[in-house]
Amino acid sequence: MTAMPTTPPPAIRHYRAHSPLRRVGRGVALAVASVLFVGYVLAPIAWLVSSSFQNEREIISKPPHWIPDVPTLANFSAIFAAKDKAVTYETRKSADPASGGFIPSTATNLLPAMLNSFVVACAVVVLNLLVGVPAAYAMAKIHFRGRQASIYVILATRVIPDIALVVPFFLFIRNLGLLDSLWSLIITYLAVTVPFSVFVLVSYFESLPDELDKAARVDGCSRLQTLLRVYLPLARPSLVAVILFAFLASWNEFLLALMFTQTPASQTLPIIVASFTSDFTISFSFINAAGVLAIIPPVLLALVFERYIVSGLTAGAVKG
Amino acid sequence: MARIRFKSVTKRYTGDVIAVKDLDLEIRDKEFVVLLGPSGCGKSTTLNMIAGLEDVTEGELWFDEQIVNALPPHRRDVAMVFQSYALYPHKTVYENIAFGLRMRKVDGAEIDRRVRDAAAKLEIAHLLQRRPSQLSGGQRQRVALGRAMVRQPAVFLMDEPLSNLDAALRISMRAEIKHLHTAMQTTFVYVTHDQAEALTLADRIVVMKDGVIQQIGNPDEVYERPRNMFVASFLGNPAINFLEGIIARGGEGPLFRCGELAIALPAKFAAGLRDRGEQAVVLGLRPEDVCAAEAAGQGLTLAGVVDSVLPVGSDRFLGLKVEGRDVFVRVDKEARHQEGAAIRLGLVAERLHLFDKASGLTLAGEGAS
Repeated sequence: MTAMPTTPPPAIRHYRAHSPLRRVGRGVALAVASVLFVGYVLAPIAWLVSSSFQNEREIISKPPHWIPDVPTLANFSAIFAAKDKAVTYETRKSADPASGGFIPSTATNLLPAMLNSFVVACAVVVLNLLVGVPAAYAMAKIHFRGRQASIYVILATRVIPDIALVVPFFLFIRNLGLLDSLWSLIITYLAVTVPFSVFVLVSYFESLPDELDKAARVDGCSRLQTLLRVYLPLARPSLVAVILFAFLASWNEFLLALMFTQTPASQTLPIIVASFTSDFTISFSFINAAGVLAIIPPVLLALVFERYIVSGLTAGAVKG
Repeated sequence: MARIRFKSVTKRYTGDVIAVKDLDLEIRDKEFVVLLGPSGCGKSTTLNMIAGLEDVTEGELWFDEQIVNALPPHRRDVAMVFQSYALYPHKTVYENIAFGLRMRKVDGAEIDRRVRDAAAKLEIAHLLQRRPSQLSGGQRQRVALGRAMVRQPAVFLMDEPLSNLDAALRISMRAEIKHLHTAMQTTFVYVTHDQAEALTLADRIVVMKDGVIQQIGNPDEVYERPRNMFVASFLGNPAINFLEGIIARGGEGPLFRCGELAIALPAKFAAGLRDRGEQAVVLGLRPEDVCAAEAAGQGLTLAGVVDSVLPVGSDRFLGLKVEGRDVFVRVDKEARHQEGAAIRLGLVAERLHLFDKASGLTLAGEGAS
């Protein structure tokens, strides 16, 4: 037996030495901060949804009611019934604003505008993928002359603010004779969204190993088959990011739509909803119900793709 | 069945980087050729050109009687195994192996038969439903081999397939690849920077450096009769020793002189040394080519001081100081040497190498051929 060491063992460091109180305090602080943040982000949406079920009088009551006293679906039914009512300056007061039955003169355009928005957004999504995916694959995996330059040029277009492009876009669209057509929106939205889509996809494709590309081609794939059978299944998160981005950008776009659309034939949701605020009189209950309808498609889309969103947004941020 | 011929092939990348320069090479049908060289020597580029993954900038690449310069990879009957395995992460092992056959529209039952056959041979039959991420490195390597095997290609290409494996597995996989070549009876082109792998596997080794072929030959030729100092130093572990010196005329014949050291050169250098005056040369001595001083002939001894003793289990190596230079030799395992002791060792005349210092080329007539 060897002699026991006489020096005392070094004090064991307790990594969880903080008192339980401190730990609880930390948890509470985090929880409070989270609640504050979530409240800050969600309060406007909660108010939008809540007020869409209130009548005009309840909306302007003080203090505001977060939970409606008398929930009503009248605002929504007014939207769907809007077709049957023509509102003019003379008849503007025919409905009682407090009942929720009061509607703006452009109310009939709301549902067609939603359809317009939906068509434009879907077309932009599809064309984004059709153009962006092959472009990104080529830039990421084919070493052609001018590859770097083309990536920079595409990135550079993202630096230009949309407002600077409005006049050239307008002239371009007018010369094509596409004013007041959905195509004017699809074409211009593509110009704005495709560069970003390509950028996201290029980063993602670059993070996939080159040897996969080589293996697929030796295995008998043409370039297109390599893209479709190997890269697309692997790039799903970035595809979802692109789909969401293109859809939301088109769905929410206001400035270009204001310039190029003139009649309900091509007006999109943001234009029509905005027009409600400059009508003969303003019905907050109706506007809020329209607002709820406007956020439903993006929210549904986000729910469907929820599990891909986070990885898609960070896609390409870290290589490997 | 494929014979591959490079005729003056040059590969230039954008920015005028030359990866392969004026390459002339014929790979015979069913031959196992290893392209050997340090990284950046153009060996992988050469392999990629065979696969069709890189364009040929100049020259012609022939498969049998056909120029394939413009033929895309999926039209060439080649299969390839990659260093990183390059398995498709979203497919199961089964689908990974079957993919090449599916792309070539092979009948479903036939695909199934071949996949199971290959899996059985490679002992991965129980892994067929797993995904690559659930496999170990060795298993992934087998899947990659299986994927190439089932294709039954005319040319089998391998790009450093073993370099991601641990040492023990690498050695056992070497043997398996050799068996595979025998069983498949097809042309193998194998790229590596590992000289031991090249010596083990190759029918012929192509040593490359800076995009230029340094020597082509079977493993013995390349090892025993290196054409230049680069080839001599690249093959062999521990590496060959180089001693710089000059040629002097002795009574018996030419002598290699380096300070006090004088070594009588064997007859095989006579032709190379004829008509040359006193010139700077480099003597090459492989660590294993020494013997007891008594056993060596006249003028064939090396005197030095033991600088370090390095037993490696199966062998014992000595680091010597000879004329101020480091010389590394292999000695009898039983021999006992003290650091700092003087030592005399004999040299095997026939195994000495001599190179011209300026050009680096061998001065042995036969090796230069």
